[in-house]
Amino acid sequence: MNMSFLRISIWVYLAIFFAYLLGPLVIMSITAFNSSGFPRMSPWECLTFQWFGELFQDQRILNGIKNSLIIGAGTVVLSVAMGLAGALMLTQIWPKLRATYYTIIIAPILIPGVVLGISTLVFWDRINRMLGLGADSFLSNGIFLTVIGQSTFIASYCMLVLVARLQRYDLALTEAALDLGATHAQAFRKILLPFMRPAIASAAVLAFLASFENYNTTTFTFGEYPTLTIELAQKVRYGITPAISALAFIIVALTVFFALLNEAKLKRQELVAAARKEATVEELAGKIKLPSFFSGNMAAVLLVMFAVATITVVGTAMAYNPAQCIADVKEEKRLEAEQRIQELRKQREEQRKQREAEQGDAQQSTPKPSNNSGFGNVFAPNTLGGQDDESSAEPDNQPSGNSGFGNVFDPNSLKTDE
Amino acid sequence: MSAGIGVDLENLWIRFGDFVAVRDANVNINGGDFFSFLGPSGCGKTTILRAVSGFLEPSEGNVLIGGKNMKGIGPNKRPTALIFQNLALFPLMKVWENITFSMEIKGASAAERRKRADELLDMIALPDQGDKLPSELSGGQRQRVAIARALCAEPDVLLLDEPLSALDLKLRQHMRTELREIQKRVGITFIYITHDQGEALTMSDNIAVMRAGVIDQIADGKTIYNDPTTAFAASFVGENNVFRGKVKRVMGEEALISTNRSGDLVARISTANQGKLAEGDDAMMFIRPEAFSIAPEGTSGDHFVTARVTHEEFEGNVFNIFTEGEGGKEIKVSIPNHGQSFKDHTGQNITLEYETRNAVVVPAGELAAE
Amino acid sequence: MPGFLRDFFNRNGFGMGLAILGLVLFWTIGLIILPQLSMLDFSFRPNLPPPEIGGPKDVYTLENYKYLIYGPEGGSQSYNAVDLRVFFRTLIAAVCVTIFNLIICYPIAYYLGQSKGNHIRIFAIMLIIPYWINEILRAFALRIIFGETGVLNTLFVGLGIWDTPFDFIRNDIALYAGLGYAYILLMIFPMYNVIESLDGNQIEAARDLGAPWWRIHWRVVIPYAKPGISSGCTMVFMLSAGALAAPQILGGPSSLWFTQLIYQQFNDNNDWPQGAAYAIVLLVTCILFVLAMMRLFKVNMGDIGK
Repeated sequence: MNMSFLRISIWVYLAIFFAYLLGPLVIMSITAFNSSGFPRMSPWECLTFQWFGELFQDQRILNGIKNSLIIGAGTVVLSVAMGLAGALMLTQIWPKLRATYYTIIIAPILIPGVVLGISTLVFWDRINRMLGLGADSFLSNGIFLTVIGQSTFIASYCMLVLVARLQRYDLALTEAALDLGATHAQAFRKILLPFMRPAIASAAVLAFLASFENYNTTTFTFGEYPTLTIELAQKVRYGITPAISALAFIIVALTVFFALLNEAKLKRQELVAAARKEATVEELAGKIKLPSFFSGNMAAVLLVMFAVATITVVGTAMAYNPAQCIADVKEEKRLEAEQRIQELRKQREEQRKQREAEQGDAQQSTPKPSNNSGFGNVFAPNTLGGQDDESSAEPDNQPSGNSGFGNVFDPNSLKTDE
Repeated sequence: MSAGIGVDLENLWIRFGDFVAVRDANVNINGGDFFSFLGPSGCGKTTILRAVSGFLEPSEGNVLIGGKNMKGIGPNKRPTALIFQNLALFPLMKVWENITFSMEIKGASAAERRKRADELLDMIALPDQGDKLPSELSGGQRQRVAIARALCAEPDVLLLDEPLSALDLKLRQHMRTELREIQKRVGITFIYITHDQGEALTMSDNIAVMRAGVIDQIADGKTIYNDPTTAFAASFVGENNVFRGKVKRVMGEEALISTNRSGDLVARISTANQGKLAEGDDAMMFIRPEAFSIAPEGTSGDHFVTARVTHEEFEGNVFNIFTEGEGGKEIKVSIPNHGQSFKDHTGQNITLEYETRNAVVVPAGELAAE
Repeated sequence: MPGFLRDFFNRNGFGMGLAILGLVLFWTIGLIILPQLSMLDFSFRPNLPPPEIGGPKDVYTLENYKYLIYGPEGGSQSYNAVDLRVFFRTLIAAVCVTIFNLIICYPIAYYLGQSKGNHIRIFAIMLIIPYWINEILRAFALRIIFGETGVLNTLFVGLGIWDTPFDFIRNDIALYAGLGYAYILLMIFPMYNVIESLDGNQIEAARDLGAPWWRIHWRVVIPYAKPGISSGCTMVFMLSAGALAAPQILGGPSSLWFTQLIYQQFNDNNDWPQGAAYAIVLLVTCILFVLAMMRLFKVNMGDIGK
């Protein structure tokens, strides 16, 4: 009785916890498919893919992705190299220095990213001035500064990943290679590096992800080269649109895909290793192929299901045209809005009458809303649709405006072109 | 001997900070010899090996290989190949790639390497195992792959760092013969490190006995066993019974020792100590368990020991009798089993007899730990 | 030292040794130590236009630190109440976030660490996935939920529990939820790593001896997991005190985070020395606080980062 109660409460707790952890991502992903102009789950208007079209239309986002990739590549190379060197040094440094050295290379993880960004900026600016270089020199280049700033702490993460594997490395292997005539560089390349490869791959992925999502450090160093994260932050701070949800959905989908892929690969390796152990030489060649990719591999099954789902969704997106639905909703809203305008007018009429009756100078309060809407109309995309939208004062109701624009990139219109 | 390349250590000192790992070692190893360094762990024998292979720079003195001074020459440039204690097979390479690693370094083609690998695999009696990973082999197979890998580099000197210590007893004994055979076949110098005196005695042409960084004795196995130079060598190699005492009289090659527990006994002075022992010196006398025989009751003299038997055991080929010795240590006596009827002596006093040439006197010194 | 260096080059070869040494020195000195020292130096200098840097006016001054305490010279108040309040609020909020995370993560870490089976791997993947998603997007997701017309408000108003939407953002609830959300993984993994290595028999033994569950945790699990707990707490505290994205996106318009002040000094006021001084204050305070806590709970520095 007591035990089952405990068990149930554990599961309830786990459910709540993972809801907290994953719920926001799920909700955000779903909002990418709602035609409402503000990312929201409810009220559900229409299933749409227009936000994806809009996303790929946004030059700043695309440019941000490009910069992020360049900076990510630079950071991966620099941090993995420094992390590996740092890890190698840690395993052979003079024992008296080890604690100090470890504290120094682990510190960047704990230093706030803001501080790292500032110190990088200040330090290289000073170097730049000392060398008498101008403001447009390489040392004050946003990409260089960002790579340097991010690598400062990402290298620490890489070091931790690499040193964990390095500790399992048998130094005798390097000595054996040297003894057999290899140079130090050959021993490193042919023996240590292959041994470290899985850890280097993990470190590189970690470094890339950390670089890709870094904001705190990058925000001080990016200069002329805003990364995707910086662009996103600007967008999110000054108004949010479902196009960001669309981007988030893509990232979530990619993440899940690669996580499953990795898991399936690991599982497969385990199975193959198990098979190899049992097999004799004669069997080896044939037997390896036998354990198919799927047998006993849950992750692989999920992976395939995931791929099928993606293909289905993309297929639907190609064939699906939300125009009718959007038009319906628009019509509905228009009616609603008209109704509200009517009511408002009536109210105002009554108010005016009342005020006119009471005071003479009640005029001043009324122009305000109309003025507002006149301004709003310029920017409200709805004007494209040729609609008069009084409700634009409430930004949440700006929604369908992009549809006229979005239709151009609607996959369907592409189809007719073909 | 053969035309192999020899190794010489000249006044070799190796220090780690204040710790002296090797103290003034002088060794001449003939080309083509199977030479062992024998000593307890921590005696500096592995350090010597690392100095020969080039992983350690001597603090003083020289390592000569084939008469050439190796100072400043890295391990990858020396004509040596080392077989590591844990073998250090490359875990990610297949067996054949492991074996021919030294050729890969030199840029040999895959076909060439494969051919050589197959030859060596035949030699170590592991044909068709080339495509396995080291982790898929048994301990003894891995052992042989490590030897093949080292031989593939065609070294002039093969260095072996306790390579059999990880194997079980049966396999270890089998590999002893095999190693010795391989050595005879390839004809190069083997330098072998071990703490197992059985390995050293069965395989080696010559043995260096080491203690705490010092080489006590260099000789062939028989000499070390029968004619040890120091108390340590006498007690470390094989089983031995020690009798402490003082030299009472030196009589040419023999000496009369007044032992602490068994009165005056006569023994031969070990060859290296001839003329070095004087009357009144502290000395140790060693008699091996198999050198004793049981004398008729009542006999006595300077080659008889009387003692009370504490217990006995039957080992198959021998009967072991343990009697009270000095300082709580027992005297062990091994009587060969010729199928004779054997009387239990437990609790009785017996008289043991030995021949003078089988008892050895050396100056008093440190004994090997049990 | 030269002996150490000689050994180092013997072991790694000259070329490899030089490469390793070069990279390590570049990282430790060029990227970690010198920039921090440079920032420290910078924080003691006046804000000058570039031509005057290094000129006669470029002297060391405590002005930037005084500013945090006393505010602008000739200001109306005797203390810089605004900035100081933000500073302490940031620290206290970071402590709260840390405690909140510790409480919600401990059961998860314990469960994951002490359970066996395939589903643990799935849970681990589910834990990691959110951390492969952009920090900004995570904050954005919470904003969708906590916004005025967000999921929660729609739900509660729809159910008739509340009459009017509750402003989560203005009340900082969104911010705390976001900060907690952002660093859950950093709290769980150090704890998980330690608890995983705890021999389940110890818990069995304690249970066998009749200890109630809370006492098992108090006397067996928590003391054992202390390095992991302190490691997680340190990371969460440092990172939430230094967070910038979450406060910018989820913070209410009137409530600032200290990092936002630093950001403003740099980007809006263009007063780098002032910003550097604020950054130093933040860094030093956080380190001192962590060291004090480590001493209070008797934790070693070596345990952090494991």
